[in-house]
Amino acid sequence: MPKHILIVDDSESIRELVSLTLESSGYTVDKGIDGVDALKLMDGREINLVITDLNMPNMDGIQFIREVRGRKDYSTVSILMLTTESQQAKKEEAKAAGATGWIVKPFVQEKLLEVVKKVIR
Amino acid sequence: MDNLHAIFMTEAGELMADLEKGLLQLEADPVNVEGIGKVFRSMHTLKGSASMFGFESVSTLTHQLETVYESIRNGSSKLTSKILQVTFESLDHLKKLLTDPQMKEGTLQQAQIDLLNRIEKLAIDTQPIQHSSSSNTSEVSPPLCCYYLLFSPQENILRNGTNTLYLVDDLLALGNGIALPHFKKLPTFDELRPQLNHTCFEILLETTKQESDMRDVLLFVETECELDIKAFPPGASLTEQVKQLAWRGHAIDMPQGFDAFSAMLSSGANPILKTGARTSKTPKETTEAQQTKASAGSSIRVSSDRLDELMNLVSELVTTQARLSLFSSQNQLNELSIISENIEKITRRLRDNAFTMTLIPIESLVVRFQRLVRDLSKELNKDIVFKTEGTETEIDKSIIEKLTDPLLHLLRNSLDHGIESPDERMNKGKPRQGTLLFKSYYSGGSVVIEISDDGAGINLEKVRLKAVSKGLISADESMSERELINLIFMPGFSTAEQVTGVSGRGVGMDVVRRNISDIRGDIEVTTKENKGSTFSIRLPLTLSIIDGLLVRIGETDFILPLSSVNKCYEVETTILEETFNQWVTLEGKRTPFIFLRKELRIINQTPDLSQVIKMEHEGHDVGLVVDKIIGQYQAVLKPLGNFYRHQEEYSGATILGDGSVALVLDPYKLIKKLIDQQQVNLKTA
Repeated sequence: MPKHILIVDDSESIRELVSLTLESSGYTVDKGIDGVDALKLMDGREINLVITDLNMPNMDGIQFIREVRGRKDYSTVSILMLTTESQQAKKEEAKAAGATGWIVKPFVQEKLLEVVKKVIR
Repeated sequence: MDNLHAIFMTEAGELMADLEKGLLQLEADPVNVEGIGKVFRSMHTLKGSASMFGFESVSTLTHQLETVYESIRNGSSKLTSKILQVTFESLDHLKKLLTDPQMKEGTLQQAQIDLLNRIEKLAIDTQPIQHSSSSNTSEVSPPLCCYYLLFSPQENILRNGTNTLYLVDDLLALGNGIALPHFKKLPTFDELRPQLNHTCFEILLETTKQESDMRDVLLFVETECELDIKAFPPGASLTEQVKQLAWRGHAIDMPQGFDAFSAMLSSGANPILKTGARTSKTPKETTEAQQTKASAGSSIRVSSDRLDELMNLVSELVTTQARLSLFSSQNQLNELSIISENIEKITRRLRDNAFTMTLIPIESLVVRFQRLVRDLSKELNKDIVFKTEGTETEIDKSIIEKLTDPLLHLLRNSLDHGIESPDERMNKGKPRQGTLLFKSYYSGGSVVIEISDDGAGINLEKVRLKAVSKGLISADESMSERELINLIFMPGFSTAEQVTGVSGRGVGMDVVRRNISDIRGDIEVTTKENKGSTFSIRLPLTLSIIDGLLVRIGETDFILPLSSVNKCYEVETTILEETFNQWVTLEGKRTPFIFLRKELRIINQTPDLSQVIKMEHEGHDVGLVVDKIIGQYQAVLKPLGNFYRHQEEYSGATILGDGSVALVLDPYKLIKKLIDQQQVNLKTA
């Protein structure tokens, strides 16, 4: 069974880059353009991992993580956030909201997969 | 995709600028460690993203350069002006490659080959001792050190999607080690809440990695766990006794602590005596007493005949014990059932113990293979690196003995027919160096050994033509890919254009398959043209005693290996009988099922309730339907004799407590057979 991953990012290029990398490693992928859009995709389908950006319009990453943790059906899904080196405070805030881990931007293909393999397998 | 491409081009430009800056810095100051690290990182990033965006030529070249700088970075060689010169030239070349990655311009292609050769020469110069075929194993590495880790995650760590077992797994992957779980905080069953974590782990790790690498693994949970890392004094190593702890880990509910282990590691004493709080009050006395005992020697040699004899006796004991259990349950004598249960417990432990004595790690085979690969690749003028994974996997010694020849044959095949010559590989745009991966791991009740190469793969059309010319199939026979691949296992089949000294020794793949099925194993091939082939061999863990699930269909008892059983469900028989496509919904999931009663042709009254035993077959769930589950049973496997030799779905028979015989089913082969006969379809209908 391929693992299913939900990518949430407002930047199209990042979304495509991440999904391309994951799909070529055998994962299946859904894409949301922000928190609101992503929550719509969480309709009971099986999701093994969520990868989300932090800065997004409509609903930002932190609020999104809180919403997901508050939902009964996805309360323990693994969530990775995309951060930059400088966002230390944000990182802690997201961690408190319930993020599982993080991926520091910019990243290379292997690094992304390495981190993904850390939390789901 | 187009704007991704643009992103890459900018990024590559920046990286090359960084690289150039770093190189110039190094030219002025060749021993600048920071500078070397910077150059290395730039190359690494460039290589990664180049291969991501299809700039194979860029990534091949940077990969080769990276190898040279890696050895400089870890101090095994020095940066010379010659290396710098080649690197600068390569950098200029890389810039051109960015605009013309396919090397349509002829001079570029020539330059690429030229540079690759020069870099490779550098690589050999800089690594005088290192031979290419063993580069991954014999890396000049920091000394092996032994660490103690106490990892106690907080109660609510599971709430944010962390799986602590993965973390423990990742820690163990850093080296060679064991993890001992402890449940000291475990509440009573009524108060137990599965969302909370109550486990902490003690990990003993033998590794060449640093403490910071371990902290890296736990980076995400830093704030949600207590972590204590201590290094044992140099020279300490994981002794057999400590490894044994992992097997008996269930007996320990309290962490032992660093000091307790450090005594064990230095003395090799048997630690099991100071289990739990009761005896750990006097750890010093115990270890001291045992220190003297242990110094006599931590292992002795025993002839394998004696081991075989021991296994035989244990088998007899297990059979007799089954009779005793049956007798005691029939007679309802309190005293008797206590004794009988106790004997059952001891028997099981004795069995496990005797069994582990006959296990040896696959490692013992691999050393021979490494030599073979090295010698053969020289003989064949090929550049091949041999990688191994999971060689610590243990397997019954009698299986290992019978495995050597087939494995050697497969390796030879991959070396000779699989991996192409360096020039051919370059032409195909693959790295010069071929990779041969030997991997083994446990999967359910079996051990899987995989031999994969990144060579030419099996040309199915060639296979077909050959089979036709040998008269194995008719010219117009239509065959699936899988059937075609399986032709190579037919007697008298060989695709090599000419018989070479290496693989054409008259031993065909048919012999390989027969040898493997003699030890109840199974071989599968997957192949992709120009990507390589993988041979995977699935073997039973042991040949003699298994833990089984005793089930009944009609009046007949059968044993299913417990290791393959996933979960059991009770389902009304009518529901099963009324589905037309053999799918049933279990816990909301559609699952295909097999009516064993039908497959085994047992005809009599069906019960109102049937039991569906869920197992996994190559990643898909399958249910086996039986009438009744009787319980767990230790089965001593007896061969079935010639009459049943071709009934692959039975792995043997066992004698039950009342003296009757039960057949032991091999679910893997049974399901596979039914799939081959197209009676079951595991893919979603």
